[in-house]
Amino acid sequence: MMRTEADALPTLARESTGVSRYITRSTAIQSAVVAATVILVFAPILPIFYQALIDRPLYDDGQQFTLANLTDLLQSPNFWSVAQNTLVFAAATTIIAQVLGTTFAILIGRTDLPFKSFFAELLIWPLYISSLVLGFGWFMVYGPSGFVTLWVQSQFGEAPWTLYSITGMSIVAGISQMPLAMLYGLGSTALSNPQLEDAARSCGAGPWRTLRSVTLPLLMPSILYSSLLNFTIALEMLSIPLIFGEPARIGFFTTLLYTQGISTPKPNYGLVAAGALILLAIVMLLVFLQNRLLRNSQRYVTVGGKASRPKTLALGRWRLWALAFVSVYVVLFVILPTAVLFLRAGVSFLSPFVPFWTLFTLSHFHDIISFPAYVRSIVNTIIISVVGGFGATFFVAMIALVARRSKFPAADKLEYVAMIPRSIPGLVVGIGFFYALVLLPPLGWLRNTIFVLMVAYTMRYIPTGYGAISPALVQISTDMDRSARTTGADWWTTVRLVILPLIRPALFSSFALMFIHFFKEYSAAVFLFAPGSEVIGTTLLQFWVAGDMGRVAALSTIQIAVTVAFIYGIRKLLGVKIYG
Amino acid sequence: MAELVVSRLTKEFGAVRAIDGVSFTVADGEFVSLLGPSGCGKSTTLAAIAGLDMPTAGLIRAGQNIFFDGESSRFVEPEARNCGLVFQSYALWPHMTVAQNVDFPLKLRKLERKERKRRVDEVLALVEMTHLADRYPHQLSGGQQQRVALARTLVYRPAVLLLDEPLSNLDAKLRDRARSWLLQLKEQLRLTTIYVTHDQVEAMSLSDRIVLMDGGRVMQIGTPKEIYEAPANPFVADFIGTSSFFDGELTSGGATGRVRIAGDSEIAVAGTTRIPVGAPVTVAIRPDRLSILASGAPAPDEAGTALHGRVVSRSYLGGRYQHEISIAQTLLRIDGPYVLEQSEVHVWVPASSCLVFERGASRPRSAVRH
Repeated sequence: MMRTEADALPTLARESTGVSRYITRSTAIQSAVVAATVILVFAPILPIFYQALIDRPLYDDGQQFTLANLTDLLQSPNFWSVAQNTLVFAAATTIIAQVLGTTFAILIGRTDLPFKSFFAELLIWPLYISSLVLGFGWFMVYGPSGFVTLWVQSQFGEAPWTLYSITGMSIVAGISQMPLAMLYGLGSTALSNPQLEDAARSCGAGPWRTLRSVTLPLLMPSILYSSLLNFTIALEMLSIPLIFGEPARIGFFTTLLYTQGISTPKPNYGLVAAGALILLAIVMLLVFLQNRLLRNSQRYVTVGGKASRPKTLALGRWRLWALAFVSVYVVLFVILPTAVLFLRAGVSFLSPFVPFWTLFTLSHFHDIISFPAYVRSIVNTIIISVVGGFGATFFVAMIALVARRSKFPAADKLEYVAMIPRSIPGLVVGIGFFYALVLLPPLGWLRNTIFVLMVAYTMRYIPTGYGAISPALVQISTDMDRSARTTGADWWTTVRLVILPLIRPALFSSFALMFIHFFKEYSAAVFLFAPGSEVIGTTLLQFWVAGDMGRVAALSTIQIAVTVAFIYGIRKLLGVKIYG
Repeated sequence: MAELVVSRLTKEFGAVRAIDGVSFTVADGEFVSLLGPSGCGKSTTLAAIAGLDMPTAGLIRAGQNIFFDGESSRFVEPEARNCGLVFQSYALWPHMTVAQNVDFPLKLRKLERKERKRRVDEVLALVEMTHLADRYPHQLSGGQQQRVALARTLVYRPAVLLLDEPLSNLDAKLRDRARSWLLQLKEQLRLTTIYVTHDQVEAMSLSDRIVLMDGGRVMQIGTPKEIYEAPANPFVADFIGTSSFFDGELTSGGATGRVRIAGDSEIAVAGTTRIPVGAPVTVAIRPDRLSILASGAPAPDEAGTALHGRVVSRSYLGGRYQHEISIAQTLLRIDGPYVLEQSEVHVWVPASSCLVFERGASRPRSAVRH
């Protein structure tokens, strides 16, 4: 019954010989993805090299190649103090973030601390919010005229802290970066084999001894890795150095780039490019170290115990102390900065000595929604996050598919290219795309659009999305594509109808990650935005420079509100958990 | 339908030659097994035929349709070959129902909806899965998944059906049932089929012919009977019949020759006409033809040798006993219904169960296992 000639099916005779098989629909798409990735990744880097090595702005005529920019920078008296400040700040930030993060990871991941999941949720929150907004929150609580600072001053004569110092800034940055260290630690404790701890207990080690000799050493790779990550982020951080360092005249690399390139009427192109190049070199070195570190992490990988639910360490009489510690931390450093920000947004004046409920006003919000440029910055940010986040997810998925699931020549190298943005600070991405647009006049029309911001953000977060999509892709057996191919589907059909539907959960989480990162991004935008393409971050900086704290607080409140709505919405709708 | 020709096919992975000059032909409607131990190159050959891997050299042709030609570097993409490949993992798409999985190839061929439905129903009936058409793959047992995987390839009438160890993920009982079902289906459909397996029972019972492979080369091509009864070399003898081997020297030739083995014993062997007397040889003995001589009993009335051996171990296998008997430093495994109480026995080795191979330069690897 199966063999009658009348039943013969049309064959899918897509025959090909020699050259022609290299230009099918599938190979055309693959080539386009590879080309787009390479262009996108190198577009911001090359112009910076060029600008750093010429003697005048890159839009002028008659450039001469020169090393003067670099030598000028290295010889300027400021440079070495800036370098020192930056490194000390990054190191202190990292130490604070790691000590706190590891402590919380162990408390939440391995002990019987009460209300663990509730605390975990609160402790992670700063990760969703721009460090610019976090910095403003801290400023309003613990800054020189902050709510708590003033109250402590009135009680004790003076406040024993100042945020206008490298120590103060490191504490703010360290606490902002703590969630990253905690997440890596939690990931590691979730995967580790509880039998290793049981083994230590059964041969006579007490709980603390076990913690010190087994649990902590097993966390070492995640601690080291997130240290480098946090160090890198602190190096390229603009927000906190700008908010607390500039008023105190403490210079950093990023604030140097910002003041020389943005907030001065006559930007020094050569100096900015040279500074960007040096920052780029340092971060690239750090990322290289991260990769080396990951390669050797195998010996810490614990085997087995996948399904077993880790038993928790009983804290005993320390349990209440731990609870008190975590509660105080959450109240002082997570809830208070956010709450005061919200409060400040709703009052005309905030001071511990005047009852705030007598000063309620909606004027800050009213100011924002009645000025088109401010509304535009909110709308732009949302459009960039939704449309850009969607586009970026699709683009990164295509990169992952070509790199991992195609026979495109040198597809494996594509992954390296896709990872390069990890070593390019946001500010440098902004400068680079800005230069690229100046260098290529036909692209000039992009300059005042949010499209260029989407492109720059996409480039900056390729590795983030790749990290969400690629592991899911690896989980899907190649037999899935191979069976589709043999039944008659070409590569593109296989991708559309088989692979993409199968990695849908990973695509959702990639989109969620992209949305959140795009929504809080500001550093790549400060060089790129123009009237018409403002985003929340740039408008916040504008309010800040004008000293308008009420509007800063109101816009920050709007940013946090949208983020909260998005995170809980996407969790409800799609069941996507963004971290962990 | 078409015959499939594989000629001098070679595939290198870096410095490793996974298949090395493999040639065979599958006639129109023939069922041929690629049989061999893991790593012998059988799956690589199958992937090359399906177009999932690009071979290094050689030629693959189905009828007039050249799939791959190393010389003109012609390579037809897998989707244009119209092969049906059933994967060892079944590779059912988990986001599609049974019916959607089977319908997918028809959609690609842009058939009308009504026609697609008719064919899907027809093929699901063939594999007896009609009642589960709306289930998702994870709701099916291994055996059911395997039927769906087969249905998904049969539905578009592939020019060549390729089966990659389709039974290896089933448990022993299910495997037996699936095998006899496959045999029925094979008789019914008469598709040009290549069946990859490492299990000689599957290969023997299903195939018209077997291509036995080892180390990336073809060791022997023949019907199951030919391969079992006239293995081309000790490797084939060992792989097909789990033989025991004695190394020795041919002392006299002819229809019934004699071989001197270690310990100065001589055994009678059959079919030595092509080997010169005095040549070093390997004797392969099929254990299923061996018997234990009761003490004092006369030798059976056939050409053969009674070999003296020591019982090394006895194990009860349920219904029968297996004994390991050491003869001239070689262990023979002999199954029998009774346990051997004595420690020394005589084993009757019929000359017809002894196959002789000249030990030369071309001796395949892993010829002797015991």
